[in-house]
Parts: sequence; C-alpha cells; structure tokens
Amino acid sequence: MILKIAWKNIWRSKGRSFVVMGSIILGVWALIFGTGFMNGFIVGYMANIIDNDISNIQIHNPKFQDDYDVKFDIKDGHEKAEEIRSWEYVKGATARTIVTGMISSPRQASGIQIRGIDPVNEAIVTNLDSMIIEGTYFEGIKRNPIVIGAKLAEKLSVKVRSKVVLTFNDGEGNITAGAFRIVGIVKSTSLAINEMNGYVLAEDITKLVGLGDQVHEIAVLTDPRIEESLITDKYKAAYNGDLAETWEEIAPELAMMNDMYGRVLYVLMAIILTALIFGIVNTMLMAVLERFRELGMLMAVGMNRLRVYLMIVLETICLGLAGAPIGLLLGWLTISYYQNVGIDFSNYSEGMEAFGYGTILHPYLDGSVYVVVTLGVFFMSVVAALYPAYKAVKLRPVEALHKI
Amino acid sequence: MSVITTENLTKIYNDNSVPVNALNGVSLTVEEGEFTAIVGPSGCGKTTLLNILGGLDQPTSGGVVVADTDITSMKDSKLITFRLENIGFVFQAYNLIPVLTTKENVEFIMLMQKTPKADRDKRAMELLKEMGIEDKANKRPSELSGGQQQRVAVARALASKPKFILADEPTANLDSVSTSNLLDMMAKMNKEENATFVFSTHDQRVIDKARRVVTLEDGKIVSDVTK
Repeated sequence: MILKIAWKNIWRSKGRSFVVMGSIILGVWALIFGTGFMNGFIVGYMANIIDNDISNIQIHNPKFQDDYDVKFDIKDGHEKAEEIRSWEYVKGATARTIVTGMISSPRQASGIQIRGIDPVNEAIVTNLDSMIIEGTYFEGIKRNPIVIGAKLAEKLSVKVRSKVVLTFNDGEGNITAGAFRIVGIVKSTSLAINEMNGYVLAEDITKLVGLGDQVHEIAVLTDPRIEESLITDKYKAAYNGDLAETWEEIAPELAMMNDMYGRVLYVLMAIILTALIFGIVNTMLMAVLERFRELGMLMAVGMNRLRVYLMIVLETICLGLAGAPIGLLLGWLTISYYQNVGIDFSNYSEGMEAFGYGTILHPYLDGSVYVVVTLGVFFMSVVAALYPAYKAVKLRPVEALHKI
Repeated sequence: MSVITTENLTKIYNDNSVPVNALNGVSLTVEEGEFTAIVGPSGCGKTTLLNILGGLDQPTSGGVVVADTDITSMKDSKLITFRLENIGFVFQAYNLIPVLTTKENVEFIMLMQKTPKADRDKRAMELLKEMGIEDKANKRPSELSGGQQQRVAVARALASKPKFILADEPTANLDSVSTSNLLDMMAKMNKEENATFVFSTHDQRVIDKARRVVTLEDGKIVSDVTK
C-alpha cells in the first residue's frame, strides 16, 4: 500500500508532477539522442578507418614497421593470404608490397607510401574501387597505372592520365625511380588515403624494388560478429614468426578514442541527471513541506520512520520512472529514424572530412545504453529523494500535527 | 483495570524566554471502557495532556503508564510501534489520507500491523458498517462530508483494536447534526467494543455525553466527576 500511496501522491499536484516529468522526458531524450549522435560520429569514423584503411587485422614481418625497410617481408605472403581467405569468419584478405618514397609531378613533390596491390582482393578488403571519383580502377592504362587520393592530386596539380614519378630505395638501398600514369583518383574520409597513399599494381613495384615477389603486409577483413583476436590467434598458431595485430593494436589511438567516447555517455548522463536532481529535490521538498501535517499524522498513528522514508523515496522513484519510459521511447524513435535516414552534414563537408568524418551521420546506440539510462534515472531518483525524505523523517509528530 | 495512569505530570515549555507550565502535577487514572472528557478553557493543558498520554510528547517530570507499560522515557522508535499497537487517534481535522479510499484509510493501520488481507477487509467493512458509512467504502475523503470523514477517522482509530482512543476536540469542525451522530457512534463503539475513549473538548454536547468529566485549569485537575 505504501507503493500505492506513493504512486497516487505524485498525482496530487498534477501540474507540478507534469513539469518534473517533462524535464525528465526531455533530459532522457537528450541523453539518448546525444549519446547516439556522438556514437554515430565515432562508429562512422572508426568504420571508415577500419573498413577503408587499416582493416581489422594486419600481418607484417615483425621488423618491417621499425623503419619500413623493404627487406623485411612476409615469407610466402601470397600463399598465406590465399590460405587466410579460406578461413571461416574472414571476408577478405589482400597482400601488399609497401614502399615509402616520393611522388613528383612537374610542379610539386610529396612524400608517399606506395602500396603495391592486387586490385581484386584490395577492393574486397578496403572498397578502394568504390572510392574512385575520377578515372577508373586500374582500367584503361596498361603500363604502370597509379591511383592516388584527391588531396594529393590537388597538391601535385595532376589529374587522370597525368604522369608522375615515384622515387624510392630499391632492395639494395640504391635510389631508383619509375614513371607512372594516374589511372584514377580516390576520395575518402581517411587522411591516409586522401593525401599519403598511392596504389600501384604489385607486379609493377616489385619489379622496380628488385627483390622478387615480396609481400610486406597482409590486410584482413573479418566478419563483424567475431572478435578479431580469434583470427590473429589462429594465424599465430599456424605461422610462427609473423606479427599479426588487430586494429586496436595497430591503431591504439583509435581504440582509446572508442573507449573515451564510451565514457562520454557516463559524463553526459552525470551532467543531465545532476541537473534533473535539483528539479526533483525541489518538487519533492515542496511535496513534503505541504504534507507536514499528514506525515505527522502517519507517524502519530504508528507509521515508523523507515516506512515514511521509503514512501518518499518510492514517490520520487515513481516520479522519475514515470517520465523515463517516455523519454526512452522518444529517444529510441529519434535514433531509429535518423539511423535510417542519416543526418546530412554536407554543408560542413570540408571540415568534417578534414577530421576524417563522413558527411552523413548515422546515430547509433547499443541496446545496453537504454538499460544504463534507466538505471541512471532510478539512481538519480533515489539520490533526489534523500534530502526530502530526511526532512520528512526528522519531523516530530507533535509539532507537525500541532494538536492531536 | 486501568489503561492509563499518570503520576504528578508536569510539562514546562521553555520555547520563549518565559517558561510556561502547561501541566502542573497531573495525576490521573483511566479505567478500561471509560468514556472520559477532559475539559477546560483554552490553554489549560488539555492538548498537552493528550499528547503525553499518546506518547507524542514527553513530560518534564512525572510518569505515564499505558497498558502496564511505562512510556515516560521510551525511545522514539519504540513509541511509534507502541502507538501502533495500543493507541487510536482521532484528530480535530480528521487527517485522513486523501489519496486512499475510505476503506483503505481504515485498513491502513491494520496493514502496518501486518494483519492478513482477509481479516483487514472483514474488519474494515465491519467498522464502516457500524459507523453507518459502508456505502462510502470506495469514496475518497474529499467526497465525504465532515461528519462522515470524522466517522472514518473513528473507524480507523478502532481498526487496530487499541487499548484506548484519544480524540482531540473531535467535534470542533462539525455541525450539530454531525456532532450528535458522531457521538452516538462513539458511544455505541464504547459499549459494543468496550473501547476506551478519552476526549479533550469544550463542546458542551460532548461533555453531556461523557460518563466522566475531568476539568483542567492552569495545568491542574480542578475537578473529576463521574456521572
């Protein structure tokens, strides 16, 4: 019956309760949508980086990444890539020959990481073919074609079919150079793809390096339902000596960013719920002060202080939880709508792309967040009830009643 | 058998700079089944005496024994339980719980006593019937007249089968018809349930109905008449 009284008590002053519930609805909605919005940013950003650039898993010779020396290749790299492609939960694997050097046009020169690729498997793993905005994906130019990023093309003042020269150290440490013709220009939210990478056919670059059919990197795309470590563990068990790393190990800053954004929910929740606490405390305090006489009567007739305390706490929880489901529902509806439609930021595309973000944002929220927010509202209600409930139990019935 | 015994009760209020002697050596015994009115002019100490008898306030000196238990220096938390088990209260302003129905108001104390639901239902309906308001069982207090609300308050006070009922000016807010009805009901419950009633009042109609009249003046008993 205490719960019943508590529930009914919140409707004694409907206007006041609706105002508080309104603020809870708005707060919960803002929390859900705000978190989903930020989550959409980070999930989109990470998906761009992982799907288009670094992939879920990379395999290298353990010494290769120290100074990107072409001598440190993966033994039998092509065979290993072929083998990985046949594994369960692997959606694609591509072998790359990687050389760092310079790219020069008649007007400009720039540092570049040259990736000698197998176009078919590269397209499966990184969708490179879908990023072409000018020219073609290795079609139409037979001799030494190269695909570069839009920013790099702009920097070098080159366009499709322009000639560029790649300069780098060969396998023996001598400086060597090769003329390439731009077959396609790609655009991506990834800074590396846009400005720092050049994609050539693997056979063209290995010929110039002169160390044979070398593979420096195997990039693997995995099924999103599994942990990447499942594949790296399997690789390590099968091939001793290579370095197989997940994206979290390759780009710890990305993993840290993911973790940090995960915490934003809690920071945002703390801010919004703290603001709501003050509103609820104020309302409940008014409710208690208005009912001094009634609370005094309850204690006079034998309602102990614990029950009085519980009644006020339950009343506050009822108030909090009456608003929360509506806020959650509105938040879910908003997220669901924009998850499908997306929020268009094309007006700010330049700024967004400069930071590696896409121009269409798809808010996303894990189901567990709704549970966390509900628990947060519950906790907030309990905290908000403490002071009003304390005021209630400190009452002396004889004073509250004035007269028995 | 006595249900209330006080011995040389004094109560001095020190809230203001000048101490006020609200009670000054009150010794009183109330026997089971009594229908007693405590009367006297405003400020004579009626309410203070009832507060102390009900365990809501403590005397400055002297002792109070209720149902063989000395409650004079009982701890607050124990007093609450003691009141729940032994004392019924009827307030001048009814003080019903506005969000509950009439029946729920009557059941409320039994619920706190952890009485089984079937027994609560039965007792509540019996009392409402005795008080002539069983047809109002599902009404809220705001839908009842003052007299009806006070009858609900009496039913609530009786619900827990207390040792005695304290009623502070129960008819002060009632018209003459309601007062007469209420007094009849209380007298009936006094007889049928052997319920002990102690009133504070200065309503002559109540005084006329009382079988014992204790008169206070300046915190002292100046007369104690049993009719």
